Amino acid sequence: MNDRQVYKAPMFPLWAIIAAIGIVFAIATYPYYGAAYVTSLLGKFLCFAIFALSIDLIWGFTGILSLGQGVYFGIGAYFTALSLKINYAAVNPTRYGGTIPDFMEWNGLTEIPGFMEPLISLPFAVAAGLFFATLLAFIFGVITFKRHIYGVYCAVITLAESLILQEAIIEYQAYTGGFNGITDYGTHADINVLWLILVVTIIFFAIGRLLTHSRMGTILKSIRDNDTRAEFMGYNVANYRIFVFCISSFMAATAGAMYAAWNGIISFLDAGPVFSIEGVIWTAVGGRGTVIGPFIGAFLVKGAEFFLSGKLAWTWQLIMGGLFIFVVLYMRDGIVGTIGKWWSARRKHVPVSELIEEADALAADRQKDYRPGQSKGPTEI
Amino acid sequence: MSNILEVKGLTTTVSGYTILDDLDFSIKENELRVVLGPNGAGKTTLIDMITGRYKPKSGTITFNGENITRMAPDKIFVKGISRKFQVPNLYETLSVYDNIMVSLTGRRKVFKSLLAKVTKKDNDRIWEILDFIMLTDKAEDSVDTLGHGQRQWLELGMLIASEPKLLLLDEPTTGMTEDGKEKTAELIEKIAKDHTVMLVEHDMHIVRKIAKNVTVLAQGKILAEGPLSDVVENEEVKAVYLGKGH
Repeated sequence: MNDRQVYKAPMFPLWAIIAAIGIVFAIATYPYYGAAYVTSLLGKFLCFAIFALSIDLIWGFTGILSLGQGVYFGIGAYFTALSLKINYAAVNPTRYGGTIPDFMEWNGLTEIPGFMEPLISLPFAVAAGLFFATLLAFIFGVITFKRHIYGVYCAVITLAESLILQEAIIEYQAYTGGFNGITDYGTHADINVLWLILVVTIIFFAIGRLLTHSRMGTILKSIRDNDTRAEFMGYNVANYRIFVFCISSFMAATAGAMYAAWNGIISFLDAGPVFSIEGVIWTAVGGRGTVIGPFIGAFLVKGAEFFLSGKLAWTWQLIMGGLFIFVVLYMRDGIVGTIGKWWSARRKHVPVSELIEEADALAADRQKDYRPGQSKGPTEI
Repeated sequence: MSNILEVKGLTTTVSGYTILDDLDFSIKENELRVVLGPNGAGKTTLIDMITGRYKPKSGTITFNGENITRMAPDKIFVKGISRKFQVPNLYETLSVYDNIMVSLTGRRKVFKSLLAKVTKKDNDRIWEILDFIMLTDKAEDSVDTLGHGQRQWLELGMLIASEPKLLLLDEPTTGMTEDGKEKTAELIEKIAKDHTVMLVEHDMHIVRKIAKNVTVLAQGKILAEGPLSDVVENEEVKAVYLGKGH
C-alpha cells in the first residue's frame, strides 16, 4: 500500500470563495447606490453569463459545438414572457379595450387560445418552458448523438434548429408576437429579481464546477479528448453527451426565463442563430473548458459592446467577428485558459515557449505514425 | 482449457475487396497468441470486428459462450474485451494519472459516474499500474509531454486498469526504439501471466522473444497456426510473409 497522491486543484479554492463573496455582495447591493442603467445591465449580463456557461458545458467539456443554444434560451424566455404578457393584458386593457395580449388582437383573435390558457399561471409557464427545453434537448441528443453525428454536422444541425425556431416565431405571430417580439408586459426589474438571478447564477456555477471537477468531469473531458477511446473503454459516449446537453439546455432555458422577466422585452432574436453564435464567442473569449471563463467572456464582450457600440455602431459586428477569429487562431484557450497555462508553467518553472516547442516536436513525431482511419486525438472544431 | 474467444466463418468486405474470408479463429483462456501477417492480411480488421468497431458481413463471434457479433463497442468492453490501437489512443489533455483513472474498471453508467469519487483503493491501484508501466514520475504531467514509447505503455496501463478478460494488442511496439521494444515485450510477458492476450506484431525479434502459439493470416485466411518453431519452418509462411531469403 502507498499513500502517494497527485496534486488536484481544489473544487472551490479559498481565494476564489472570498473573491466570489465580494463580487456577489457588490452586485447584490449595487442597486442601492449605483446607476439604474448599470443595474439593468448587471441583470442582463448575469443571464448572458449563464447562457455562455451552458454553451461551455456542452462545447468545452464534451466537445460538441452547438450553434443553436439560443433555441433553449428562447423557449425559456417565450414561455415566461407570454405568461407575463397574458396576465398583464388581463388587468391593463389595450388601447382597443381588449384584455388579451395586443398581438393576438391585431391578428384577429378574440380570446386566448385554449392551448395557451395554462400559461396564465406563471409558475406553470416557467416550469413548462424549462421542461420543454430540456425535453427538446433530450430528443435532439437521441437523434444525433446516438447516431454518431458530431462535429461540423452537429453544429450545422443546431444552427438550422435555431433558424427554424426563429422563422416559426415570426410566422406564427398571433401566438408569439411575431417580428415585433413580446413587449409591454410590465416591469419586473426590481431588486428581488436581481437577487433571484444572482442566486441561480451561483447555483449553476456550483453545479458546473461540481460536474466538471469531479470524477465525472474527468470522464467528460476524456470523451471530449477522444471519444473513440472512451467508447472502447466501455463508456456509452452518446448517453454522457445527452446528459450534459440536457443540463446545459435547462440552464439556457432558465437564463432565458429570467432574462424575459428582467428585460421586459424579448424578440425572435433571443432565440436565433446570431445570439447563439454570440454566446459561442463569449465562451471562446473567456475560455472554454473552464467554468469561470464564460462568465468573464460574457461580461467583457457584452460590456464592451454596451459601452463601445454607441461609438462604433456600424463596425461593432466586424469587431466581434475579428475578435472571434483572433481567439480561435491565436488564443484557443481563451483568457482564462491562457492565464491558467501560464500559471501552471510557472509552477513548474518552465517557460511557456519551451512547452509549446516540446509539444510541437512531439506532434510532428507522432504525425509520422499516423495512418488514415485512426483517431488523431481530440476532435476539434 | 476452453476457448474464451471463438470466431466462426467471419467474412467482411470493404468496397468489393474481401478483407476477411470465412475466417475461423479461436483463443484459449490464459493464452498468449501472436497474430502475424503481411500488410492487408486482415489483422487489424479482425480486432475491429471483435471489438465492434465495424460489423462483419457474415459469421459469428462468441466470447465466453456469449454471441457478441454486432454488439456496440462499449457493450463488448463490458463483456471483458479491451483493445489497444495501433497508434496510441489517449486522452490528450488529461494527466497520465487521470488517463488511468477513467480507465479503471466499473462505473460506466452516467448516473453512477455522477457521484463517483476516487477512493483510496482506486488511488492505490492507479499508482500500482503507474509503477508497472514505468510512468510513476510522469503521473501529474499531461499526456502530450510523453514520448512515443511512453504513450504506448500508458495505453497498455489503461487496458490493465480496465481489468479485461481478453486484451487485444495491435502492434504495441510500433515506432519504438530497440530499447523501448525490449521493455514493451517484457511488459506484455508480465501482462500475459494473468490475462488472455492476442498480440498483433510485425517485429520478428519481439515475436521470437515472447511468442509460443502463432497464427499467420494472409489475405483474410489462416495460413498456418501452431507453435512458433513449427510455423517459421512452414514453406508457405516463408514464401508469403518472411520473404524468400529468410
